[in-house]
Parts: sequence; structure tokens; C-alpha cells
Amino acid sequence: MSEVVAPTVPGGGHVRPRALFLAGVTAVVVWLGLFLSLPRVATWSVHTVLQLPQGSPVHAAVEFFLFEAPKVLLLLVAVVFGVGVVRSFFTPERTRRTLAGSRESVGNVLAALLGVVTPFCSCSAVPLFIGFVTTGVPLGVTFSFLVSAPMVNEVALVLLFSLFGWKVAAVYMGTGLAIAMVSGWVIGRLKLERHVEAWVYDVEGGAGGADGSPLDWPGRVRFGLDAVRDIVGKVWPYVLAGIAVGAAIHGWVPTNFMASFMGKGAWWAVPLAVVIGIPMYSNAAGIIPIVEALLEKGAALGTVLAFMMAVIGLSLPETIILRKVLRPRLIATFIGVVGVGILIVGYLFNAIF
Amino acid sequence: METTITKIEVLGPGCPRCQETYRVVRHVVETAGLACQLVKVESYQRMAQLGVMATPAIAIDGAVVMTGHIPKAEEVRELLGIG
Repeated sequence: MSEVVAPTVPGGGHVRPRALFLAGVTAVVVWLGLFLSLPRVATWSVHTVLQLPQGSPVHAAVEFFLFEAPKVLLLLVAVVFGVGVVRSFFTPERTRRTLAGSRESVGNVLAALLGVVTPFCSCSAVPLFIGFVTTGVPLGVTFSFLVSAPMVNEVALVLLFSLFGWKVAAVYMGTGLAIAMVSGWVIGRLKLERHVEAWVYDVEGGAGGADGSPLDWPGRVRFGLDAVRDIVGKVWPYVLAGIAVGAAIHGWVPTNFMASFMGKGAWWAVPLAVVIGIPMYSNAAGIIPIVEALLEKGAALGTVLAFMMAVIGLSLPETIILRKVLRPRLIATFIGVVGVGILIVGYLFNAIF
Repeated sequence: METTITKIEVLGPGCPRCQETYRVVRHVVETAGLACQLVKVESYQRMAQLGVMATPAIAIDGAVVMTGHIPKAEEVRELLGIG
């Protein structure tokens, strides 16, 4: 889902630091101006321009959309850029070197954390898997990375922060990392190395590409901008579609409508959410605004989190790709262990909040 | 145009990003009239052999020169030494 380019672009040194600094300041000022004027512009559009009747469903829906859509997009641009710059300090090769030298339990923690900041594209999951396990990164540690990388991603965090507030975003990040660490550790304990396809260990692994010369700051900025173009350029239609559906739910679905089948009272809601979520393939961008609207109509937080994690973290396409290197037994264990982790998180949050 | 390059490999499992990379490289090779072999590699074994962990990647004569992003034409020309 989060696909970011790796920092092997040479050069970029033709930009003068001072020009870069000025451009940066201008960008921040423009961004802040836009962001701070959003509520007024949204209210003004709904009341003065469109003159929608106050208190009507269409009023609620349109105001929601006009406020949330630009807000989420602005936050996405800022955060994806920032994360892009941070990621320019990491490469898969470097992450592998760090992980190959660490002990198992420490390795699981490190791998989950590095999964967040290492550039990763789900279509690279197989080459990365092979690169890790053939150079001494333990299987369980590799899984911690593979669980955390797609699940704890900046697009999901921005949307959660924007629509639910920082607490929910922090909870998602914390529990996502915990699931990655623990499920990787469990998979390591189960000693499933023989369920990796045999050819993987037979490959004479190559040294890989040079890490590339370390980037200078203009290079890192360009890396961040590439990430914005790449990621925001791809997810914005989903964001808009998701917020539009969310807006419609917001305006027309009665309050507490969801409580009966996604509320706390329904014990089966969490497992059902996970089972429905796994084969669904949507990026965070499309699913979260809908989920927010459902929550507002009485769905329970834990159920909604579980659904989201299952959709984003355990995607069917990725497991199909991983089938090339993992035997069915290991795939099933992987889905099972991570799925149980998500279930626990779901029940836990239904119990706490 | 004559260069010492004999073989360019574009590596990737066949996702849109890899196809785009192949298009960029092919365009550069064709416009420069390079007489070298250009192949799109989808084999994970080959990627592992070369040590590629992030796709799309480009290897020139068996040496990985770029990984993990879609290059611009200018970058490919630089990599091929015809910048």
C-alpha cells in the first residue's frame, strides 16, 4: 500500500540550500493558511454559496465532505512528505544489516519499528523476504517486518488522526506494532523454517545494489516530493470516494443505526469484522472515512479497528504473492497468528472504550 | 550508438511500477539506438541472485544499478552512461 521509492537517486545537488530553505518556508506558510481557513470556507460554502437548509441531511453531508476532504488531503501531503524524508535515511539493505545482527526477541521489536520507516512496496514483499531470510534474519523477525510494514503506514495514521483524533491514531499505531512484534515472535517460536519453499534457501544470494551515495538535503526533499507524488497521487480518488460515502452515512443513516450489529453488545461482531476484512482489498484511504462514519452511528471502536487492521494488514493479494515463497501451512499460520492478534485488539478496545 | 553494455535487465514481479520502469528504459534504449539486449525479468530467483530487495530494479551486465523506484529518462541515461 505504501509504496515509496528507495534512496538510490544520485545527486540532486544542483539546488542551492538557501533557495530550498525559502521554498520550504513558503510551502509551510501556504499550507498553514489553507489548513486554518478550512472550517470557515466549508461553513461559508454550505450556508452562503449553496444555501442548504440548516439541519437537513444534505447540509450535514455536504458540510462534512467540504471540510474533511481538503483537510485529509492537506494532512496527507504534509505527512507523506515528512515520512518520505525520514525514509530517505533508510534502505532495505541497511534494515537487513541491522536485523541480521540482532537477537530474536530484540529483533522482533526492531523489525516492527523498522517496518514503519523502511521504504517498502507490497509487490517487493517476495524479494525482500528472500533477501532477509537468506542472509541470516530469523524467519519470525522477517514476519514482524512484513506485518508492520503494510499495517502501520502513514496514510492510515493521517486518516485516523484527522477523523478520530490523535488518541485513536496512537492506539492504532501502538497495537499494530504490538501485533507485528508478538506474531513475529510466535512464528519464530513455532520453528516453521521447513515450510518455506526449498528453493529460497538454495539461492546464491547476491550482494545487491550499492546503497547509493548518501543523499544530501535537496536529494532528501526530492525523495519526499516523489513520495507525495507517488502516494497522494494514487490514493486521492479513494480518499474522496471514502469521504463521500462517509458523508452520505453521516447525513442520512440514523444515529445508533450501527449499534445493533456493530455495537459492543454483539460479541460476534469482532470475528465477523476480521473474517470480512481479510479478503477485502482496499487501501486505508478508502476504508477509514467510511469506518469513521460507522463509528459515529454506534459501531464499537474495537470492532472498527479490527476490521481496519484485517483489511489493511492481512490483504489477500499480499498473501497470494507470498505463496511463491511460503508453503500453505506457513501462510495459514501467518494469517491465523496475526488474525488472533487483531481479534484480541478488537475485544480489548471494546472492553476499554 | 555503440556502448560497452551488452545486457540490461529490468527486474520486478509485474506490477504497474515495474512495467512503467520497463517502458522508461526501453524508450531510452530505443531513442539512443543502443545495440544491447533489454529484458524484463519476473523471476524471483534472478532477483534473489542479484540481491534485489526492492523492485523495480535495473541491472546492467549483471550489476544492480538502481532499486526501488520508477526512474526518469534522464536518470536511466545517466545509468547507461549516455547522459
